[in-house]
Amino acid sequence: MANGGQRDGQRGGWPERVGPEGGRPARAGLSEAILTFLERGVSLVVSSSDRANRPRVGRALAVKVPADGAWIGVCLDRTANAALLAAVAETGRFALAATEPSTHISIQLAGEDAIVTAADAEAAALAARHVDAFSAELALIGYSDAFTRALMAHDPATLAMVRFRPSRLYDQTPGPKAGTAVPP
Amino acid sequence: MSAATSASLTLDAIRACLEGAVPATIATCAPDGTPNVSLLSQVHYVDPDHVALSYQFFNKTRANILANPIAVLQLIDPPTAAQYRMELCYLRTETSGPLFESMKAKLAGIASHVGMQDVFRLLGADLYRVTAIEAVPGGAPLPAPVAQRSLLSATRRACEELRGCADLTELLDHSLCVLRRLFGVEHALILMPDAATDRLFTVAALGYDSSGVGSEVAPGEGVIGVAARERVPIRITHMTSDVAYSLTARDGAEDAGLTGGPAREIPFPGLDRPHSQLAVPILAGRRLAGVLFVESRQEMRFTYDDEDALATLAAQLGALMQALPPAEEVAPVPAACPQAGGAPVVVRHYAADDSVFVDHDYLIKGVAGAILWKLVRDHTTLGRTDFTNRELRLAPDIPLPDFAENLEARLILLQRRLAERCGVLRIEKTGRGRFRLVVTKPLLLQETS
Repeated sequence: MANGGQRDGQRGGWPERVGPEGGRPARAGLSEAILTFLERGVSLVVSSSDRANRPRVGRALAVKVPADGAWIGVCLDRTANAALLAAVAETGRFALAATEPSTHISIQLAGEDAIVTAADAEAAALAARHVDAFSAELALIGYSDAFTRALMAHDPATLAMVRFRPSRLYDQTPGPKAGTAVPP
Repeated sequence: MSAATSASLTLDAIRACLEGAVPATIATCAPDGTPNVSLLSQVHYVDPDHVALSYQFFNKTRANILANPIAVLQLIDPPTAAQYRMELCYLRTETSGPLFESMKAKLAGIASHVGMQDVFRLLGADLYRVTAIEAVPGGAPLPAPVAQRSLLSATRRACEELRGCADLTELLDHSLCVLRRLFGVEHALILMPDAATDRLFTVAALGYDSSGVGSEVAPGEGVIGVAARERVPIRITHMTSDVAYSLTARDGAEDAGLTGGPAREIPFPGLDRPHSQLAVPILAGRRLAGVLFVESRQEMRFTYDDEDALATLAAQLGALMQALPPAEEVAPVPAACPQAGGAPVVVRHYAADDSVFVDHDYLIKGVAGAILWKLVRDHTTLGRTDFTNRELRLAPDIPLPDFAENLEARLILLQRRLAERCGVLRIEKTGRGRFRLVVTKPLLLQETS
C-alpha cells in the first residue's frame, strides 16, 4: 500500500523545518510556520483523559486558527468521539498530534483549558478542505483517495469544535528526540 | 466499550489492523491526568487477550504507561479503513526471547517500508492485556476484499493429505506440493537440523532456479535461523534492508576459511529481494525437527492467518515425522553389479569435515558426506551396490546424531544432491529401508586428511 517514499527525500528535523520564525505575527501563541504546518494535509489525532485518569483517543478532521484568536479550534465528529468529548468537557485536558505522513514530521500541542463547542458555519467546509489535502498527502505514499475518504468519513451535521490554548508544544518526529519541548 | 471477550468483537477479528501496514494511534496519560497522543508503528498480536507494542525510545508514552498502565489505541483496518478502539493495561516488558525476536524481525520490515530503517530499533516488547475493544461509531468503511482462498479449508485438506505419506521423502515432497496447490505458495523450503553442528540444512525446495538442497543456515541467522533458535514463527511483511534478515548475500568465504581448500558452501536458494518472508519451526514433541520457510515477491503476502495456517501444517508435519516407522525392516536383495566403463572419476574425501568432491566439484559434507564415502568405499573394495538404512545407522565411521529421521534426512539430501550435481553416481530406493548405489563410471578414491 504505502511505499515509504518521502516527499523531499530526507526526513525533516524539528524545529528547524517548521520551528519559530522571528518577526512573523503569532496566533494562538504559535509561530506562522507551526500554524502553516497544522493547516497542511497532516494526520490529526487527539487525546484527553477523564476524571479517573483514563485516556481517551480520537481522530480530528481539521484545525482552525482564527486570525485574531488566542485559541486553536479542532474539528471532530461527535458520533465517533463521544467519550473523548465527554472527557474534554469534564477535565479540559486536550492534546493534538499533527503528523505529516510523507516526512514523519510530527508535533504535539497540549493544553488544560479545552472546551467543547458547537461547530461554526465554516467547520464543514474546513473539514472537507482538510480531507482533500490529507488525501493528496497520503497519495504520495501510496494510499488511494477512496481509502483516505473512508478513513475521514463523517457527518457534517454532527461536528463539534474543541477550543484550547496550547500551553505545551513537543517535537514528536520519531527518534530519540521525540517528546522534547519546542518553543512555541 | 464492550469487553474484549464478548461475542461481539474479539482481538482475533481485527488482526488485520495489527499488520503494521497503517500506523495506529496511542493515547496515555500521566498520573496527574496530562494526556499524551502519538502514532505507533507496531502493534503486535500475541494471543486472543494480549498485544505487544514496540518500545523504541524512552518517550512520554513510555513514561506514562510505567506510571499509569492504561492506554487506548485507535486502529485502522488497512483494506477497509474501518477504525477500532482498544483499551489496554500494561503488564511487562520483554527484551529477549520469542516475542521480542518476532517483533524485532517484523519491525525491520516495517522500518524499511516507511523509510525509517536507521531510526526504528526495538529495545523491548511491551506486553499489554486487552481489556476492551469497540468499533468507532459512524464512518463509512470500504467493502472488504474477497479472500483468494479459505486458509482453514486449505489447512484441513493439507493435513489430511499428509497423513497418507509412507516415509520422510514423501512427507517432504507432499508438504511442498500442498503448499503450492492449496496455499498458492510459490517459493518454499524445508530445512532440518543437524544435531552435531547445530545448523539447519535444506532438504526440500519449491520454486527456485537451483534447489539449494544441502545449503545451510546457522541458528539465529535470518528469519529461518531465528525461528529455529526461538522456536517461534518469524514473519516479515515488507522487504527489509536489515542485513540481519538477509540470507542470500553469503558467499561461503567463511566456510572455506574454516576448513581450508576449496569452498564447501551450497548457495542458499532464497529470493534476492523477498518482500514477504515467513519461517515456521516444525516441532516433533519438544524437539526441533525442522523449519518450514515460505517467501514471496509480494509485500504483505503472509498475514497472521497465513502464519496460523502454516504453524498448524508444521505441527502436523512434526507429528507425522515423529510417527514415521523406522525404515529398516527388510534385508537387502543383492543385485547384479552393473559394469561401469569409461575413464575413471576421482572421488576425493576430506576427513576434516567429511566433505566429498567429485572431479574437483564440491558435492556434499558432514554426515551425508560420510555416508557417501562409506558407500563408494564399499562399492570399490567389496563390489557392493545394495545397502540398508540399518547398516548405515550402525556404521562406526558415520557420525550420526540421535533421532531416526536424521539418517532419512541425510539420505534424502544425498540422493538429491547426487541427482542435481553428479552424473556418475545416484541413489535409488529399492524398498523399505534399503537402496541401491548406481555407479556409471569407474571410481578412483582419494582420501585427504
